[in-house]
Amino acid sequence: MRAAARLTARPPIFWALALLCALFIAFLYGPIATIVILSFQGPEGGLVFPMNGLSLHWFAELFRPQSIGDIWGSFDRSALLGLAVMVFTVVLSFLAGLAFRRRFRGASLLLYLAIASLVMPSIVVSLGIGALFELLGIDRHWYSSALGAHLTWTLPFGLLIMFAVFNRFNPAYEEAARDQGASGWQTIRHVIVPIVLPSLVGVALFGFTLSYDEIARTSQSVGAANTLPLELEAMQTNATTPVIYALGTATTGLSLVVIGTCLAGVLWVRRRRARHGSDAGKAV
Amino acid sequence: MSRLAKAVPYLQALPLSAVFVVFFAVPMVLVVVVSFFDYETYQLLIPGFTLENYREVFSESVTYRTYWITIEFCAITWAITVTLGFLIAYFLAFQVRGATWRTVLLLICSIPFWTSMVIRMIAWIPLLGRNGLVNQLLIVTHLAQRPQEWLLYSPFSVILGYVHLYTLTTIVPIFNSMMRIDRSLIEAAVDAGAGTWQVMRTVILPLSKTGIAIGSIFVIAMVMGDFVSVDVLGGGQVASVGKQIATQLSYLQFPPAAANAMVLLVAVIVMIALLMRAVDIRKEL
Amino acid sequence: MQTRQVTRRRVLIGAAATGLAIGTGLRVARAADPVTLRIAGTGVNQFKELADKAKQDLGFTIQYTSLVSDDVVKRAVTQASSFDLLDAEYWMLKKIVPSGNLRGIDTKKIKYYDQIVPIFTQGKLPDGKPVAMEGISPIKVAYLTAEKSKEFAKSPSQWMTVIPTIYNADTLGIRPDLIQEPISSWAQLLDPKFKGKAAILDIPSIGIMDAAMASEATGKVKYKDKGNMTTAEIDQTIAVMTEAKKAGQFRAFWKDFNESVNLMASGEVVIQSMWSPAVTKVRQMGIACKYQPLKEGYRGWASGIGVPVNLDGKMLDAAYEFINWYLSGWTGAFLNRQGYYTPVLETAKKFMSADEWDYWMEGKPAKGDILSPTGEKIESAGAVRDGGSFNERMGHVSVWNTVMDEDRYMVRKWNEFIAA
Repeated sequence: MRAAARLTARPPIFWALALLCALFIAFLYGPIATIVILSFQGPEGGLVFPMNGLSLHWFAELFRPQSIGDIWGSFDRSALLGLAVMVFTVVLSFLAGLAFRRRFRGASLLLYLAIASLVMPSIVVSLGIGALFELLGIDRHWYSSALGAHLTWTLPFGLLIMFAVFNRFNPAYEEAARDQGASGWQTIRHVIVPIVLPSLVGVALFGFTLSYDEIARTSQSVGAANTLPLELEAMQTNATTPVIYALGTATTGLSLVVIGTCLAGVLWVRRRRARHGSDAGKAV
Repeated sequence: MSRLAKAVPYLQALPLSAVFVVFFAVPMVLVVVVSFFDYETYQLLIPGFTLENYREVFSESVTYRTYWITIEFCAITWAITVTLGFLIAYFLAFQVRGATWRTVLLLICSIPFWTSMVIRMIAWIPLLGRNGLVNQLLIVTHLAQRPQEWLLYSPFSVILGYVHLYTLTTIVPIFNSMMRIDRSLIEAAVDAGAGTWQVMRTVILPLSKTGIAIGSIFVIAMVMGDFVSVDVLGGGQVASVGKQIATQLSYLQFPPAAANAMVLLVAVIVMIALLMRAVDIRKEL
Repeated sequence: MQTRQVTRRRVLIGAAATGLAIGTGLRVARAADPVTLRIAGTGVNQFKELADKAKQDLGFTIQYTSLVSDDVVKRAVTQASSFDLLDAEYWMLKKIVPSGNLRGIDTKKIKYYDQIVPIFTQGKLPDGKPVAMEGISPIKVAYLTAEKSKEFAKSPSQWMTVIPTIYNADTLGIRPDLIQEPISSWAQLLDPKFKGKAAILDIPSIGIMDAAMASEATGKVKYKDKGNMTTAEIDQTIAVMTEAKKAGQFRAFWKDFNESVNLMASGEVVIQSMWSPAVTKVRQMGIACKYQPLKEGYRGWASGIGVPVNLDGKMLDAAYEFINWYLSGWTGAFLNRQGYYTPVLETAKKFMSADEWDYWMEGKPAKGDILSPTGEKIESAGAVRDGGSFNERMGHVSVWNTVMDEDRYMVRKWNEFIAA
């Protein structure tokens, strides 16, 4: 009954925008659709149409060691690096975002440094970091120099998104907390963080995605062991294998399953609450 | 106490600043220094001070042509991504109800990017190519008699690729900006008799301009420096400033590449500074 | 509100953890080893099978750093400490050696030195004919004046820059099912009949050679030395190519093996400069593809393995041991089956069947199925290698991949060509 009322309440613009959104998502998944279809290539098939048979061959291959390229070793590194970058990006951007809400000397300089880091062609940054470490005689690793290189890429995004998040952020919340006797830390922990939490999740997502997919900044700063995108890129110098499509299909499928499960979980919890008459779920 | 309170923002900004100083500013000093070095084919760096590399950048007609092409791509991409980003962010912020669905939709938009760029880039050929999915579909539905070749390896495909990559980066900041808009303002406007479009134009658009500006910064920065997408989707035949630098670097011509990169940096920073003059993204922090 | 968020977070974390566990749980852990050699190079000869065999024979762990070719040169010049062995193309040596990052390899310690194909040690073919000298013919950059030297020796010395690993003669690949007339000249790359269906390499040092071969064959440009053009010759070559580009001759320029395979297999391109294993790969998919010999000859290239200057002690010994093992036959046979040539033919022959040897090296029809190094069938009985025998193919190399004295000018012109 409530749902029906909601449906009728939708203005036409909702449907127009929903259509636009659906088309956009379809567009985003265009290349993914080809990847999924072609990952079922026959054993003799390639990375383009025509299909040469139909099989699960490449999914089986995915879990065998490859002749060229170490997919799983680099996958581990990329996943861990992505998670580390994610954490650093969220924490550092959040803190810096707080700093920018007050005035401090050098704020403009820091902002332009961040923007410059975004603008500078990535290969140049990468070479600079690689060369610097070489000059200083420090070994490069994915968890040191490449982590730094990734942060020069994700932090400008994180910081600027924090600007959008704190834009017209009502200081009354903090003042109220302070009036109640909360310390600075408590104010952040119990007032600010809960309010901006959804946005922080967004920043985290951004940080992970940007890092997991990074190539140019990593290329000269990573040392001897490659991240996944670099390994995949290097595989192209001697291999044409739908295994990479199988990887894409598996990644996408797994992500969708995980998100679907979470969504189902949340909806289930919510419905159970509703039945028990809790007031939870009405907020936000 | 007040001394401590004054120190707080510095402490909060310290970790981020440290990362930028160590991993960006210091390496870039190297680049600046190298941009004034001389070089020869078989001697890559000749320490010294010469303005030759910069002179070369500014005196070559190819520089201006390449910048013109890149700026054109940038402008078109910007117009499309910001419009699309605004509408979708509006949909997410004001039409979709509940944080759960918003999060789910944002996640769904992110998933394609968890398949490596390397793989996605390859997939454009079977999607847009002569015998690709789109062309097959066009022919089956009799929308076209023969394969449409402009779908791939053309300025069209380059822009399509950019829109694919960068729209999400405009959605996120605009969406966050919109979430800060006080709903009572909208109700007031509606009570005063404003229609949906009018509300969007007179209330939401001006109040989300910080997000739009931030999204614009992302798109401008990424398109101006791009050399990967333009290469793959332009079939190696479309020029860009980033590609020019990449070509010089692959030939180990470090000094001119460094000079070129510095010029690009300054050019884009100027563009962004002008943008920030119009919209001060720090004003209402 | 509080509890609800906690529950949701728990659900999310649980799901994410499951996802990661599925992803990471499927790998095999590797044991640590006293000697690990880090080899940086392109993926072209970085086969896992090779690393496994080295581990078995030598006890060394081989850790590959696979890079795209652009990144190989950059690493070599700026970060010599990030690898223990470098696999680079010969033309790159012109850039790498002056940086002083390579250490001369003592030929006295190379067991099979005397058996290395004389292309690399004397500038001659095994049958005594001279090798083409246009471009960076390997012999021009094969030796250093001393172990730690930044200069090439004019004649063979005790110190080699790199020990050759693979080399080949490149030509045009075509789709015989989509091209009616016979192809016999590089000039046909620019034939308007193939408008929108031709491709060349996007690596300037190689692409410009394709362009030069084609321009010369059409008679539009004359060269003294294609491998080291004058500025006027560069201008003329770029002019020819720009005209073709503006007329829409090229579908795409490709950068890596996989792109060239995809362009050909999808029918985007019907005629393009290609690598031998790429042609094999297209054919393996059941699509007709020919590695067409042309009357103007082949464009040659070669790669070799070098030692960074700061490697010493146990690691240096290990590097020599690895190189000697590399030349001892098993690897040679493996890479020959990939369609490349390897430096010590006698040792490789011992690891190949007579039929394999005759097919790959002698240009004779296969008697049985021909298998790839990883065991997939690539040709049936009766097949003959395109271009024929080793001597026929390597003997007709007319120019090598190159770095020109005027390369600053060339790269500028190349950028203009791309922007045109």
